[in-house]
Amino acid sequence: MPYVARRVAYLIPTWLAITLLAFFIAQLAPGDPASVYFERLNGRPPGRIELARTRHQLGLDQPVVERYLRWLGHAVQGNLGRSYSSGLPVTHELLSRFPATLELATTATLLAVLLGVPLGVIAASRRNSLIDHVTRGASLIAASAPGFWVAYMLIILFSVKLRLLPSFGTGGVNLLILPALALGLGEAGLLARLARSSMLEVLREEYVTTARAKGLPEWRVTWQHALRNALIAVVTQVGLVFGFLLAYSAIVEVIFVWPGIGALAVNAINQRDYPMIEGFVVFAGTVFILVNLAVDLIYMALDPRISLGSQTVPAVG
Amino acid sequence: MSDLPGPEHPLPSPSLHPVTRRQLIRMLGVGTIGASGLLAGCSSSSKPSSATAKRGGTLTVGADADGYVLSGPSANVGQYPLNANIFEGLVRMDPDYGIVPVLATSWTLRPPNTWRFTLRRGVRFHNGQPFTAEAVKYTFDLIATTGGGGTPGFAKHGTTIIDDYTVDVTPTFPNARLVEQVVHPENYIIAPGTDPVKHPTGTGPFQFASYQRQQQLAVKRFAGYWGQPALLDAITFKFIPDSNARLLALESGSVDVMLIVPNQDAADLQRKGFRVGASPVGAYEAFYCNISGKKGYTICQDPSVRKAIEYAIDREALIKGIYLGRAAAEQSMIPSRLLGPANAAKIAGYTFDPAKARQLLDSAGWTAGANGVRSKGGKPLSLQLIDGFPSPDSHTGVPEFIQAQLRQVGIDVSIVVTPDNAAYSARMNALAGDLWLEQGNQNDANPAFLPALLFSKKGLFGGSSYQTMFAPGGTFDVLINQALATPSEAEVKSLVAQAMHVLIDGDAIVVPLAGIERIVATSSKVRGFDNEPSQLQVRYDRVSLAT
Repeated sequence: MPYVARRVAYLIPTWLAITLLAFFIAQLAPGDPASVYFERLNGRPPGRIELARTRHQLGLDQPVVERYLRWLGHAVQGNLGRSYSSGLPVTHELLSRFPATLELATTATLLAVLLGVPLGVIAASRRNSLIDHVTRGASLIAASAPGFWVAYMLIILFSVKLRLLPSFGTGGVNLLILPALALGLGEAGLLARLARSSMLEVLREEYVTTARAKGLPEWRVTWQHALRNALIAVVTQVGLVFGFLLAYSAIVEVIFVWPGIGALAVNAINQRDYPMIEGFVVFAGTVFILVNLAVDLIYMALDPRISLGSQTVPAVG
Repeated sequence: MSDLPGPEHPLPSPSLHPVTRRQLIRMLGVGTIGASGLLAGCSSSSKPSSATAKRGGTLTVGADADGYVLSGPSANVGQYPLNANIFEGLVRMDPDYGIVPVLATSWTLRPPNTWRFTLRRGVRFHNGQPFTAEAVKYTFDLIATTGGGGTPGFAKHGTTIIDDYTVDVTPTFPNARLVEQVVHPENYIIAPGTDPVKHPTGTGPFQFASYQRQQQLAVKRFAGYWGQPALLDAITFKFIPDSNARLLALESGSVDVMLIVPNQDAADLQRKGFRVGASPVGAYEAFYCNISGKKGYTICQDPSVRKAIEYAIDREALIKGIYLGRAAAEQSMIPSRLLGPANAAKIAGYTFDPAKARQLLDSAGWTAGANGVRSKGGKPLSLQLIDGFPSPDSHTGVPEFIQAQLRQVGIDVSIVVTPDNAAYSARMNALAGDLWLEQGNQNDANPAFLPALLFSKKGLFGGSSYQTMFAPGGTFDVLINQALATPSEAEVKSLVAQAMHVLIDGDAIVVPLAGIERIVATSSKVRGFDNEPSQLQVRYDRVSLAT
């Protein structure tokens, strides 16, 4: 079977596994969604009869396997049910808020690439210089710092102290900068470290020595010859970073009141909005595996050995 | 125009106290801002401002998470939990829990169980529709379709139009407390036939402008308002669930008002020149003792243990150390402002007396062991404290304080933190725990609601785990049922105070810890923010922005 077809076929069991996890993990969470649902509508805890009535109304008194199969049947048709909290279709809610998350994740990924890759390459080409030490230190801090802490620090610096940028909201480029930085800085650190190590590895290759022996200027050796090969690992990582940022932007979205699917998911978790939680996991998981597929296809384009049917994919990253 | 009144009572001047985690984060940041002078009539640390109030301008409010319901008959955008002053009720509640006429000018109880309301004339909805009895029927019938009919118990055919300005309301159960309950924004009047989500339409001083779920709600002044027009042109409520982000939004000038200020941030904000006001007590912190004896949780069935717990807790130290002085030493559970001082005095509460606690335990046969934990018949005096309602964050430091205090008298407490309300409810339904820590709100003017809901044998809406674990029955039920049935406001307060006396002083089932104040911070340009106890009755029409 051709590589692409095989790769696409793998998506089906992966996606089914995601639906299983999404559905059953939500069921395992402590707390009765019927109780939360009732309390939300009525402002008080339910009596026993009211609770039983609400559980029936939400279909929660049905066997869990039966509920899963019914839900799956609808999910494959794009119907992820209705949100307990808003009453709106989950698919509609996710799709209407996905562009905001996409915008944020794309900008953060761009920032991560534009900051991280050049820094990593420069650090590698000037190994053990001051810039190398600074890049390694800064990238380690950026990659290690918790996202929420980075977000608060950025707000304190740029909004509270300097009053240059708003601390939250959407609607303009100036509102995108801080959340994108908060989300992208950590990934920039990771990419810088990866680009540096890949570059160092490539710079030790014989063809690089040959290029140098031929008398090519160092910048051409680095940026034209070595970088292309070093980028293979980086491209793979960028794809993963993008998928990761799409699915895991929740904390930053909550802090900056960004209207994406991450903030929607946090709200749903707090309210035990099962259909929304399950929908989010399936949606984010689907996006993640599609991004991974795209990365693999790009990788195949960069390294044609893969499309020739080789089962052995060189380890990268 | 003269300056408008300030918050109910400003906080005392900040004093030195240990650095909190939040402050540490801030210190690691890059300094602070200095806001301009404070308002006239503010706290002792404030300075008079030369700025004057004016009409116009847009106020930006940093609110908590968006909790509106968006579908079905319970849809409540602009109503609850954030009252944006789009809607009005037949009556409202003043900061002393007094009933104030709004869309109804008078009301009477027509025995056995019908309330007749005379409605205000000359009132129009934001869409131009006149306000009449039809709107009251429309609204109450809508609430009736939710199942329970709301806390007042509106019946499907229970609202009858007598004429355009007279309406009769007969609830599903004998309800002498209905007027005190309809102050709640959930019962505010909606324009018939309007979409409560796409275009919420009421009679309030502000009309709907726009709403983006979990982002913001914008309202603008309603020119045709029947009462005194609002001073502001518009208000934008920004939903910022993260309290750190909300605080930084205030400091950066992105919002003018920060609702729900955590205790630990209040002094810091005050130092920086923001106006920080605490409401009168509108909520309580307490824990309840499980007396059911079910599922192996039997220790609190012993009244001596419960009494010992009451005496073992130093509430003043709790208020000073955990609440940083921003709570009141109230032991009535129901705000004393609602009960009235004479009635509140009927609930004695407990003074800190660890010697008495030890003596009670000794007398009951709980003897001290080598590890400091008492035991009886080989059974250690170990209790589980469940922390989680409405959230563990709302009790920060309190469970550990209780644990340390009870340990001093030989009671071992293990703390079970449930991550949220849902997990707490699940644990409660399993009856798994000895002590249940809660923070409860007084959201209407009915003092009998919470005691009846939580502690009466029958419950208000049928039995629940509260009834199983905490209801003493007997005298308490007699008193609380009388309170629910009496039409006299004075009598209900007296009866509720007596019932709480039984529950706290007599049975020691409820261990009240403190009366909770709501803290709100505003920038120096905000005038007239009335920080009332429930925060459901804030009147934004009297708020203005200084020049």
